[in-house]
Amino acid sequence: MLVELFALLKREYLRWVRAPMWIVAGLMTPILYLLLFGQAFNLGALVGSSPQGEAALRAALWGAPDYFSYFAVGMVGMVAVTSALFAGTGVIFDKQLGIMQRTIATPVRRSTIFSSILLFRGFLVVLPIFIVLGLALAFAHVPGLVGLTVTQGVGALGVGAVILAVFILAIAFTSLFLAFGFLFSRVESYFGVVNLLNLPLLFTSNALYPVGTEPGWLQNITAYNPISLAVDVMREVFFGSSYYPHPVYVYLLGLFAWAAGLVALALFLAARALRTK
Amino acid sequence: MSSLAPPALGQASSRAGGGSVIRVEDLGKTYGGQVEAVKGVSFEVAAGEIFGFLGPNGAGKTTTVSMLTTLLRPTRGRATVAGLDVATQAARVRREIGLVFQDSTADGELTGRENLTLAGGLFGMTPAECRGPIEMLLSRMDLADAGDRRVKGYSGGMKRRLELAVAMVHTPKILFLDEPTIGLDPQGRAGFWRYIQELRREQQVTIFMTTHYLDEVENLCDRIAIIDHGRIIATGTNDALKENVGGDVVELRVPDRARDLTEPLRSVPGVREVLREANLYTVKCARAEGLVSSLVMACDGAGVTPEGITVRRPSIDRVFLELTGKAYREEGYDDGRAAQASAFGGRRGAKN
Repeated sequence: MLVELFALLKREYLRWVRAPMWIVAGLMTPILYLLLFGQAFNLGALVGSSPQGEAALRAALWGAPDYFSYFAVGMVGMVAVTSALFAGTGVIFDKQLGIMQRTIATPVRRSTIFSSILLFRGFLVVLPIFIVLGLALAFAHVPGLVGLTVTQGVGALGVGAVILAVFILAIAFTSLFLAFGFLFSRVESYFGVVNLLNLPLLFTSNALYPVGTEPGWLQNITAYNPISLAVDVMREVFFGSSYYPHPVYVYLLGLFAWAAGLVALALFLAARALRTK
Repeated sequence: MSSLAPPALGQASSRAGGGSVIRVEDLGKTYGGQVEAVKGVSFEVAAGEIFGFLGPNGAGKTTTVSMLTTLLRPTRGRATVAGLDVATQAARVRREIGLVFQDSTADGELTGRENLTLAGGLFGMTPAECRGPIEMLLSRMDLADAGDRRVKGYSGGMKRRLELAVAMVHTPKILFLDEPTIGLDPQGRAGFWRYIQELRREQQVTIFMTTHYLDEVENLCDRIAIIDHGRIIATGTNDALKENVGGDVVELRVPDRARDLTEPLRSVPGVREVLREANLYTVKCARAEGLVSSLVMACDGAGVTPEGITVRRPSIDRVFLELTGKAYREEGYDDGRAAQASAFGGRRGAKN
């Protein structure tokens, strides 16, 4: 079974490394956001630098010392969605080109086919997330740039929680969009639905702006958004638990529930698509 | 019909002694409980045979092949491939068969070798285990030099050969070819069949093929089944099918106002049937050899000198025409031209 999985992963990998634009474009988007949007939009400057102002800003930014720090963590959620958007396209093209037909005509297990796609597409989501996090942390040490400033000591447990959140989030969104790849046979239908989901997912999250000013009903939705849950895990680890109503593991559990549901959905639709009719 | 003739095989293969590797009993498929695409077909394919599966578009060919290759689930009857039930032992059937689809299914972004390694991997072969078979197949298919180039740069013929190699990496017992030469030029088709024959010779593989090209059926297949409207309407060797249709045909064209020759021709010993259409007589007989001079003498006796004589053995499309009452439509022909090719285009015909 591992031989089959490795063979399928290798194909995905070869296709990926041979499409340089795919890689460059995929990594450029988050980097541009960090370099341009994040640097330009400086909320702190609006409030001024009085001690009261700073305290108020920190409270509004859920413990983040400045907007960039707040936003850089939110970028993780945004990158997760935008990178996962394409997760289902390979499945659609493979269906159209008969490659899927050839694959299911071999003795390889259906679960192996599914796992290979989820693993590789998940990797393509995780990779830019860690690049964004790494860059944002590095910016804090570059003169002239704003960076992600961590305001408290982060232990091994904290690092583990952040990594876990990233992986679960990546699996959740990869599964979601993969599900649509198995459901639809045309790229047009796929991107229609994906575009419909993309912005509401982001806008009902706490990724880009502090949620304190939102109306109550929206705050309720935002609290359960999987992006919010992942971002809350990371912000709480980076900026201290005093600003958050729940401990880290509560957010992790919520995120895990999302991922379990979305993996189940993708598995169901994949089984339907790969089944002998 | 084109004059392309793939190299003729010894008919009635002596290898066909290993019993049946494909057994189909009352196999049927109804889509969505409504469209009955295959209505209970039965046939057997012997080990080592090249078995041709013929039928017009929509006759149930691809549905049947898909059931035999476990890609579709039968709704009626049963079929065994290599002794394994296609419905209940699908995974094990897949291990025994190789598939060549109508369209290329290789990944264009990967090289030939990478595609072959992937194919082997899907059958549980490690890259090291694949290497031997892959190098053998690449050199067999004349792709050794192109093996490290990406497949998107291959010509149509190269892609077909790669497809064949991909289907053979795991050394299957049975090879299924679904219209494998569609879109190839005549050289490409002839070449492709040469490779198929070499593979069969060296690896003793049984071949089940569907095709639109009747000359391929005639020259390559040991046995044929013809399917129409979801039912098999004939099975047998080329020769047996032709015998059934009435053996050879002699066509005599006489001057416009000549007297009727039906009776004099019918009285010639060996003649089975005489049909007249204006000034064209169609004489059916078991074998035309030795009969032509008697027919000409019969005409002379009636005071008529034939203007032209055509002798032909029935082609498979003629067989098809006789059995189904319609011409076998080849890709690229409109109906009228196909009918004309069938009625008048006997390849062995010799106008005197």
